[in-house]
Amino acid sequence: MRIASKLKPALPRRAARAAASASCAVLLLAGPATPAFADPTSQAQRIYERIAGVDPPDATLTTMVADITGGNALAAAELATSDPSFYNVVLKNFVTPWTNRNQTVFAPLNDYTATVIGMVRDDVAFNTVLSADILYKSNASGLPAVSAANNNHYATAEQNGVDLKATLVATTQSAAYGLPSAATAGVMTTRGGSSAFFINGTNRAMFRFTLINHLCTDLNPIMDITRPPDRVRQDVSRSPGGDSRIFLNNCIGCHAAMDPMAQAFAYYNFDGVTTQETLYTPGVVQAKYLINSQNFNQGFITPDDSWSNRWRQGPNQVLGWSASLPGSGSGAKSLGQELAGSSAFAQCQVQKVFQAVCFRAPQNQADRAQISTMVSGFTGGGYKLKQVFAESAVYCMGP
Amino acid sequence: MTREHRMNGFALSSRPLRHIEQAAALAALALLGACTSSGPATTASPVTAAPTVQAYTGPAPENADVQAFKISLWQNIEAPTMCGGCHHAGGQSPQFARSDDINLAYEAANTVANLTNPSQSEMVLKVGGGHNCWLASPQACADTLTVWIQNWAGSTAVGGTQIKLVAPPSQTVGPSKTFPATSAAFAADIWAPVLVPWCSRCHSDNAQTPQAPYFASANPDEAYAEAQSKINLDDPAQSRFVIRLATEFHHCWTSSCAADAAIMQAAITKFANGIPTTQIDPSLVVSKELSLYQGTVASGQNRYDNALIALYQFKTGSGSIAYDTSGVLPELDLTLSGNVTWVGGWGINIAPGGKAQGSTEASQKLASLIQSTGEFSLEAWVAPNNVTQKNADIVSYSGGDATRNATLSQQLQQYEAEVRSNTTNENGDPPLLTAAANNSAQASLQHVVLTYDPVNGRKLYVNGVFTGDVDKSGGGSLAAWDNTFALVIGSEVSSDHPWAGVMRMLAIHDRALTAAQVQQNFSAGVGEKYYLLFDVSSLVNVPQSYIMLTASELDSYSYLFTRPTFINLDPTQKPSGIPIAGVRIGLNGAEVGVGQAYIPLSSTVTAANYSPVSGQILSTVGTAIAQQKGPASDQIFLTFEKIGSKSHTYASPPPPTPPVPTNSANPDYGARTFDQLLYTMSNITGVPITDSNVASTFASIQQSLPSTPTIDAFSASNQQAVAQLAIEFCSELVNSPTLSAKFFPGLNFAQPAGTYFSSQANVNLVINPLLSNAQIVDSHGVQIATQPTVAAVTTELNALIGQLSAGQNGAGRTAAVTTAACAAVLGSAAIVLH
Repeated sequence: MRIASKLKPALPRRAARAAASASCAVLLLAGPATPAFADPTSQAQRIYERIAGVDPPDATLTTMVADITGGNALAAAELATSDPSFYNVVLKNFVTPWTNRNQTVFAPLNDYTATVIGMVRDDVAFNTVLSADILYKSNASGLPAVSAANNNHYATAEQNGVDLKATLVATTQSAAYGLPSAATAGVMTTRGGSSAFFINGTNRAMFRFTLINHLCTDLNPIMDITRPPDRVRQDVSRSPGGDSRIFLNNCIGCHAAMDPMAQAFAYYNFDGVTTQETLYTPGVVQAKYLINSQNFNQGFITPDDSWSNRWRQGPNQVLGWSASLPGSGSGAKSLGQELAGSSAFAQCQVQKVFQAVCFRAPQNQADRAQISTMVSGFTGGGYKLKQVFAESAVYCMGP
Repeated sequence: MTREHRMNGFALSSRPLRHIEQAAALAALALLGACTSSGPATTASPVTAAPTVQAYTGPAPENADVQAFKISLWQNIEAPTMCGGCHHAGGQSPQFARSDDINLAYEAANTVANLTNPSQSEMVLKVGGGHNCWLASPQACADTLTVWIQNWAGSTAVGGTQIKLVAPPSQTVGPSKTFPATSAAFAADIWAPVLVPWCSRCHSDNAQTPQAPYFASANPDEAYAEAQSKINLDDPAQSRFVIRLATEFHHCWTSSCAADAAIMQAAITKFANGIPTTQIDPSLVVSKELSLYQGTVASGQNRYDNALIALYQFKTGSGSIAYDTSGVLPELDLTLSGNVTWVGGWGINIAPGGKAQGSTEASQKLASLIQSTGEFSLEAWVAPNNVTQKNADIVSYSGGDATRNATLSQQLQQYEAEVRSNTTNENGDPPLLTAAANNSAQASLQHVVLTYDPVNGRKLYVNGVFTGDVDKSGGGSLAAWDNTFALVIGSEVSSDHPWAGVMRMLAIHDRALTAAQVQQNFSAGVGEKYYLLFDVSSLVNVPQSYIMLTASELDSYSYLFTRPTFINLDPTQKPSGIPIAGVRIGLNGAEVGVGQAYIPLSSTVTAANYSPVSGQILSTVGTAIAQQKGPASDQIFLTFEKIGSKSHTYASPPPPTPPVPTNSANPDYGARTFDQLLYTMSNITGVPITDSNVASTFASIQQSLPSTPTIDAFSASNQQAVAQLAIEFCSELVNSPTLSAKFFPGLNFAQPAGTYFSSQANVNLVINPLLSNAQIVDSHGVQIATQPTVAAVTTELNALIGQLSAGQNGAGRTAAVTTAACAAVLGSAAIVLH
């Protein structure tokens, strides 16, 4: 029996209140009242806390202080990335909002998140995150096997407080889920990604949320009404409510480019009713692509999963599409390569890390220059996201 | 005879019987009128009253076709108030309305009627052109006459015969003018000097009796939008504003319509002269140009209309009457009131407060005809404005909010049908609703049909397909229908239950359409279609070569172009090897910026794919292109990146420079989030996160802990949750002899608190481990600069411990005081902020 329980009649409630009020009192004394004029110890502490989310062990702090004093703050930061909490806490909470439509961080660990964590740990080139046949699972004991039909393996690992850094092992979606290797597309085709964005709807959600999460833009900011609407599907009315101005001034701005790219997912669905599994039907377009066909009968009828990037012309060239890729293809994998090959993808990953570590968006020329430097290092150095965490933490360790 | 047999018997001879039935109904109405001498006198309108049917005493019809002519057409037009006023025996030729000999009338009628394609009958074209129409709208007369000839022709009128494409006039794309974006010049030149003084008493939304379109609105922007379709910038004399005054004598404000028209024309000319002309880029590869109305009419889509009793095609485009052109008399014309405007390409737009309602007298024909068959269909082409409207009555034949014969309404994304019968109540309830999961109602143009028959009751069809929703009330008798109700569109007769949307057609049948008939009418579509032939002969060096687009008015604002097709009007030609790529649509001298669906088009006309009859289709998709000056004025043309040996290279503009984000300065510190707090406190205390009490507390408060490091988002409730978690960890720490011995070396929890903590040395056994484990000081005891000062923390903890322990020597008090001190540190900014 807990001692605290025994004490309940005598003190705990009052003690708790007192403690809470004391906490508030101490809180008021700290923070802004304490200027961030840092010394190597403070810098080391901040680097560690920002990367790992926890305080450094004393010995580690000492080593980091030495590194910083010796002019090698990056080594100190890299030391911080070895803390298990970097994976179990910071990375998990960094990635979890990408894996659900509500963008909530309060969602169970799933294969999408675990795969990103594993890729970061192993320095897998992050530009394959949308195209690789890759999956990470935990080899900790006592976990249910990975299943295409449920998330139990990952949810249990989280409940058990499994050390992800120590236990994640790489495998493939084709091996774990039976998905053809050519049909895998990184995190998009993980069970977590599929159950969130291939379920119901028209699969446009997968495209939109991939843009939000990996190119850091929703569709509205990059609307371009001048793109040809020849591949906008039949379910999009060209005269919503009897007013075609709405389509020509708004709807077309997203659909003209989104529909020809979301066509890459034409063979995917997620059965959220019975099997709870991803459905992949090569050669057969999912019915969801053909619904509401009378909304505009003269619209595009999806024949296959070929896709085309219409943003390679027009103002959205600024997203920086790779000149070494053709800008069209078939299936989710090549679309994932197209998206991850853009400069916007690299910029987005770096900017997300910067914000997660520095607690702010780039706000001045120095910040933007740092982002630019890190993007160059990211793209030129094998797309190692862990490195970006370390570099960001050093940049934001304080003066 | 069973009911089914009777129905079949009726179906076999539906057309003649149908008119007998109508005549009987009219006779019943006449009797009703004769018997109501005690009621208020009813003044028959010359526009809507059925013509007097005189007893025919001449020779009998020589054959069935003459008989069909007699009952379908002749008896509708032989009255002196109709064609019989002139085209009678001894009157003006042709004497197709003569009443002395039906066979001679039949012979004369054959010279002006086209039984294969009734709408193209000379009689129809003549009346449609304004020749002695008995209604205010020549279009309505033409449509009604078409129905009568269609009924006469019966199955011989197939309508959908092979369309004969006619080469349009050859017009080179020339300079043109387009309307300026702002209304300033319009307001100065036309609106203020002419429209406001002379037109605003009707054509303004705040007029006493508002009459759409509101081109004389008090708001010049609204007026400008409405007026553009009435102005011809390239030829002001052809402006609708001018023609309406000069030749149609519409409400001239002086005694001289010619003078008023001249004033209007001068104002429009001044406005037009101020607009620069747009010159076509000479480097473009362009076709010839033409307007929508210069296309070949793609008429002749077959509808099933054998049981039609009321029809609204909304072709008039102006005025306040929607004409019933079913040809079944009396016409049940609808009066538009409130927020109702005409829609381009036929239709009306109903906004809240608007409705179109028929008179109760004319509406009687619905009850009479439908009650005699016991079944009916309401068929409508509608585009709901939104899918958020509830209790929105689209079409209603009713007497009030709670009493009706039949209503078709919208409930969010469901359609609803209420029909009064002996299996439902007087409000037609319980209603039949389409399944919510099907989301049948969409904010797009839809074909919606409600059928009722005595066996199945109500059935709803959307876009030609039965929704599958079964009427649990079943079929019944319509004997309880009330013939004093009125037909209304867009709301209840009381103006309650408003529906917002566009209605492009409404047909009422006194039969339940079969699924095949519904599908047939859905396939026939709605609105006028044209085949636009864009001459590209000079571009491909093959005479009579055209790119043909099927075009229509999608709504008031756009054209719909579909199925670009290469075709040569010379059937002996066999074009081949003609590449066509990058097709763009141009209007009024410039390529359109939005909606260019044929830019990606790349095809080659080949002998194998080309048919002399149908040409070679280049694309199956359609696209909406915004109108500029309206269908009468917009000059449409095509341009090509490549056609034949001609080509034009479109330069791709360089990408714009990415904008530089301007984020305001933010603090560079933040709060630890929920998991970070959990792991941090675990690391400090040594209590594992899997500890059952910690896990339980964390699960219950997880979402009350900070979810984001943003300090601006940190709230009091966050701090409360942090305190709870800190207390839980510290409680588990202190309650664990192993952990507490390691964390607080030398601290004796068995000592009475009051006595024990009176010694600062003992107090420091609590404070010092907290300072080091929470890394307020480093492992050498040195203050970490960014943490709260040791002095401040120590002062707070001393005060807390002193307050909690003073005079408290009971058992367990030392542990409790230590727990509180521990929680104060763990829940403080030293941990929460970083």
